[in-house]
Amino acid sequence: MPVAGRDIIEKFTPLFAPRTVAVIGASTKGAALPNVFIRRIREFGFAGAIYPIHPSAAEIDGLPAYRSLADTPQPVDYAYIAVSAAQIPDMLAAAAGHVRFAQVISSGFGEVDEGKDLQERLAAAARAGGMRLLGPNCLGIYTPRGKITFTEIGPREVGTVGVVSQSGGLGTDIIRRGMNRGVKFSGLVTVGNCADVGPGEMLEFYFADPQTQVIGLYIETAQDGRRLFEILRAAQAQKPVVMLKGGRTRQGLAAAASHTGSLAGDDRAWIALSRQTGCVLVDTLDEFIDALLTFQTLAPRQQQATQRVVLFGNGGGASVLATDYFARLGLEVTPFGKPTLDALAALKLPPGTSITNPVDCPVSTLQQDDGRVAEKILAEIYANGKPEALVMHLNMAAFAGRTRPEVLDNVVQAALRVQTHFPGQAHFVLVLRSDGEPQLEARKREFRAKAIALGIPVYDEMANAGHALAALQAHERFVISRSMA
Amino acid sequence: MKNGAQLIAAARTQGRTALDELAGKQLLASFGVGVPKSVAVSDAAGAAQAAATLQPPLVVKVMSPDLLHKSDAGGVKLYLQNAAEVERAIAAMAATPQIRAARVDGYLIEEMAAAGQEMVVGAVRDPQFGPLVMVGLGGIFVEVLADVTFRICPITRLDAQEMLADLKGAAILRGARGRQAVSQDAIVDVLLKIGGEDGLLMRHAGDLKEADINPLIVSGSGAIAVDARFILA
Repeated sequence: MPVAGRDIIEKFTPLFAPRTVAVIGASTKGAALPNVFIRRIREFGFAGAIYPIHPSAAEIDGLPAYRSLADTPQPVDYAYIAVSAAQIPDMLAAAAGHVRFAQVISSGFGEVDEGKDLQERLAAAARAGGMRLLGPNCLGIYTPRGKITFTEIGPREVGTVGVVSQSGGLGTDIIRRGMNRGVKFSGLVTVGNCADVGPGEMLEFYFADPQTQVIGLYIETAQDGRRLFEILRAAQAQKPVVMLKGGRTRQGLAAAASHTGSLAGDDRAWIALSRQTGCVLVDTLDEFIDALLTFQTLAPRQQQATQRVVLFGNGGGASVLATDYFARLGLEVTPFGKPTLDALAALKLPPGTSITNPVDCPVSTLQQDDGRVAEKILAEIYANGKPEALVMHLNMAAFAGRTRPEVLDNVVQAALRVQTHFPGQAHFVLVLRSDGEPQLEARKREFRAKAIALGIPVYDEMANAGHALAALQAHERFVISRSMA
Repeated sequence: MKNGAQLIAAARTQGRTALDELAGKQLLASFGVGVPKSVAVSDAAGAAQAAATLQPPLVVKVMSPDLLHKSDAGGVKLYLQNAAEVERAIAAMAATPQIRAARVDGYLIEEMAAAGQEMVVGAVRDPQFGPLVMVGLGGIFVEVLADVTFRICPITRLDAQEMLADLKGAAILRGARGRQAVSQDAIVDVLLKIGGEDGLLMRHAGDLKEADINPLIVSGSGAIAVDARFILA
């Protein structure tokens, strides 16, 4: 690793794996947000020292309290600060040289006109005191390697997806929804108003961090847009980067300006950024999470970008609609040639089965041999049709009450066996379609977890799988085109 | 010939917010972008002698900071075949009401570029990202369909090639429907001279707010900037 990479990892280690945490703003009644933070990091398994800071209390939540940030027995790696804005600059100034990272949760700074001066003073105090500042106006950090979290729920395992979010609330959504879809994080930092640490520097950290393999960015305003461009351009998408950019339309811009309080960029510049750096621009939170899951799970193709897709599953109408949708995304679902059709016809599948692409297999077909029939079908498809991606879609409602529970398992296992016989040929993804009935949802949740454990990304609908594959295609295309140049 | 910094400094000294067409083309030429051979004259009197050094057909254009749309003001005359026609064209222009009312720096006499595919190459300075370079097909493609694409400077050759491929009208460049294919390399070269690592926009990033080369006329073998406008920051 280059020296710059080692430097930045060393610089941010106290943030991602702090040994000492100070909490400012906890009350003796134990009800304030900082009290909740103390409870959460203890539950999450944080084993280092926690120093509550309080002007008068002897202890907070059973921990000895200290009068000020400067009074703690050990220097503070990470300070979580949630008290009224006006007192924070002086508080940091008084703790000069004693704190490495200060995360200011409080609002009332640069996001409102009357707080701009205060934010300047806050940043100046942090600078003068030799500490790095996160926020203000953010929610915190979630770092499973350091066992620190600002959210109630989040995966305990250390994953490979590193995220930086300019919105705290959206950061929470990313962790919670991401967890339920199988995303595992190397960290998530909310940077709020970015008075000091901004998306650019976090990006540099994640590029250098060996634990991080995929990077996600939620950006509303980029004060350091040029730097962001230069970092991303230098990295040449060596790790996939997914970007969700808020404020790309004029209407969105108005909302963004009132949210984090600075001028926003221009849509055309962000599209240009994406084309020149290979970062994948997505439009919605769900696309963002699906794309992160995709890059976490699947290795990008290195010779030829994903384009030819085979749809396989139960649901004729759904696969026709998906064929159209995929085509609009630049993915081809084209009928098989004669050799593949002949090979599939030779399997003599029951009537009602459509063996062109999309391959429509009603439940009556899929339940043959308790689902193992899928192996024969897919083996022919892989051998003759040479798809670059296989989307298996299962409409769970059609299986319920008609088949034995293991049929679904067997269908997926059959596909996995075929995958191992054709290593690296095709991305294999799963769409689990449900009608929202609570029983079916429970079954889907359980099945999704199983599939994810097997390394298969799961999506809720065909369109979601399409967007995920399109994101993969965009990344693959960029990397391949740049490696040839 | 003056270099870019001198051209920009001269315009600022004169209190201008934009380079005049002659200075704009000199700026382009100093970065190696092809421009028509031209001579500037202050009025009809010197026109005939000046025009004699150029190869007809010729074009005459009024140069005035007051006339943004010079052809609408009657300030452009095409297909002039000899010095006498040039002289008469300038005299007629000088007499039109709009031009009489405007501050006139002079008249530009140019060799007319051969017909070809009209392109637009432009630039804007983005507050966050710095200079952006733009390309599109000319005429209705840019004006009605807004079929243009941007990149952040500096761009690479591959970026420039991808810009052309991004255009909805890309097939026209390759010679769709019996048209002659144009030199995409020539457009790419211009994009690099404008937006590349050592290009015009990177070199003069702080001085330029916007720029338009409209049209850039592209043939099967080359490209020539027929009109150029640089707005100073």
